[in-house]
Amino acid sequence: MLRVSHRERPDWRAQAEQLGFGFHTMYGEPYWDETAYYQFTLAQIERDIEDPTAELHQMCLDVVDRVVRDERWLRRFRIPEAQWQGILDSWRRRDPSLYSRLDLAYNGRGPAKLLENNADTPTSLFETAFWQWLWLENNVDAGRLRRDADQFNLLQERLVARFAGLAARYPGQRLHFSCCKDTVEDRGTVQYLEDCAQEAGLDTAFVYIEDIGLGEGGWLTDNQHNTIDWLFKLYPWEFMFQEQYAEHLVTSRVNWLEPLWKSVLSNKALLPLLWQHFPDHPNLLPAYFGDDPRRNALQDYVQKPLFSREGANISVVRHGKLVAEVDGPYGEEGFIVQAYHPLPKFGDNHALIGSWLVDDQPAGIAVREDRSLITQDLSRYLPHIILG
Amino acid sequence: MKRSKRQLLSRMADRIGKPVGAAIAGSVLLSACGNNEAEVQVYQSQDDCRNSNPELAEQCQAAYQQALAESADTAPKYDQRGDCEADFGGGNCVPYQYQGNSWFMPAMAGFMFGRLLDGNRYAHTPVYTSRNPYSPYYGQWSTANGYRLGKAGYGKRISVGKEALAPKPKVTRTISRGGFGSTAQAKSSWKSTKSSSRSRGWGG
Repeated sequence: MLRVSHRERPDWRAQAEQLGFGFHTMYGEPYWDETAYYQFTLAQIERDIEDPTAELHQMCLDVVDRVVRDERWLRRFRIPEAQWQGILDSWRRRDPSLYSRLDLAYNGRGPAKLLENNADTPTSLFETAFWQWLWLENNVDAGRLRRDADQFNLLQERLVARFAGLAARYPGQRLHFSCCKDTVEDRGTVQYLEDCAQEAGLDTAFVYIEDIGLGEGGWLTDNQHNTIDWLFKLYPWEFMFQEQYAEHLVTSRVNWLEPLWKSVLSNKALLPLLWQHFPDHPNLLPAYFGDDPRRNALQDYVQKPLFSREGANISVVRHGKLVAEVDGPYGEEGFIVQAYHPLPKFGDNHALIGSWLVDDQPAGIAVREDRSLITQDLSRYLPHIILG
Repeated sequence: MKRSKRQLLSRMADRIGKPVGAAIAGSVLLSACGNNEAEVQVYQSQDDCRNSNPELAEQCQAAYQQALAESADTAPKYDQRGDCEADFGGGNCVPYQYQGNSWFMPAMAGFMFGRLLDGNRYAHTPVYTSRNPYSPYYGQWSTANGYRLGKAGYGKRISVGKEALAPKPKVTRTISRGGFGSTAQAKSSWKSTKSSSRSRGWGG
């Protein structure tokens, strides 16, 4: 695994804006960064990332199977009691999921370690599936990267195929896409997914989360009063559980993407359960609930709220001293602690691998860099290649 | 090669593919039943229905045929027989073909029959049940959209609400909006007070 400096494509900003990637630069800071790329060998990708991703995902599903049937764990996960039955039914029906992203610490040698599972609302999708692919294509065509340079990136192909498969399961249903207002990145991600669904031949529509209505008969509606049959929501389950329409999640008979059972996977309480059920697994880090006395064995650890996003409210403690901390609006729901495992450092940059799954199969990777120990929402996205 | 083969999507280039899903034929009979409940019985075949209701032989036949047609349109479809059988039990799933695609769907276990309260119409909704004890549909009558009617048993009188009978309408009058999104708003206002922390969205 190498970080290789590289010349930018001269016209990439104009091209990005034409293709719907307006958020390549945010708040005056670069987000997409092609002044360098990461290079992996095929063995590193297949043996160290792809295979463990598939295995970790199955282990996570195994934990879901235990949690949804057990009140004690549902309580520990801070899932409101009103949602337990719906979650259990959704799991028993095997309501299909679309995608997930596992965040891994990996430095090119030895086992990758699971830091967390973004199973409910993963982003950086357009950048991964489309834009870094185009970057490689352009560079190869221009003779600036070798023709045999490859990339682990089946994401778009798999997404389109997955949508086609889901359409067969819900024949005749229109798929609504939804995200919050005033979030240019989320809107871009959802637009891209809608493009993929259209490619698969689906009938699609868009509605903002805030605009979703409650109609006569208890159905959820869009802005044109159409009832919503099937909804992709880039909005966390744990938020929806607390909101006014929470009582209609099941009775409105919406086929949810991601499904209700994903609320168990995207919860950081997953991490101590994984460690409990698969102790000493090479791809796991020791993790405990904040009030578990066994946590005292950890000298160097990271404390994470059950529901945090984008690094918020995460703190890193080494030898009993706080060495890094990110402020944020999360944490009322409780914390877990996970053994500290440094991200590999290339120059001043800490690199994090996001490993994607579509339909339970590994489908590609994303590399993000941050100058801080904690990867946050202003981290930069770098492309990658496979060579050798 | 470990990457996608072609890349430009239809919105970016030319559009390919055709809608996969069959349009669901809305059930005219049932959508008219309003809020009233109806009392129905579940029959396995048109003969069972006729034997119990000799004076309604014609209606039994019509209801059975409509139920079969509705079942083909609305029953849940699966790519794999195994996935269908996980929900509905071994041997309980049948192949289904449409426009050159093949799927599996649960076999119709029976159909509701009974006069609707709004007049001379008869219910004809298909029902399913599961033989897999780990399925939520085990031993229950359920409709294509997952509504559970209670313990499965032929000929027993059951009262059903419009929820079970009415297919979900395509359009309805919206009573309120804004029941989702308040958490994001609350957390955003936290963020706007911290100039150092800027949110790009609610994904992660």
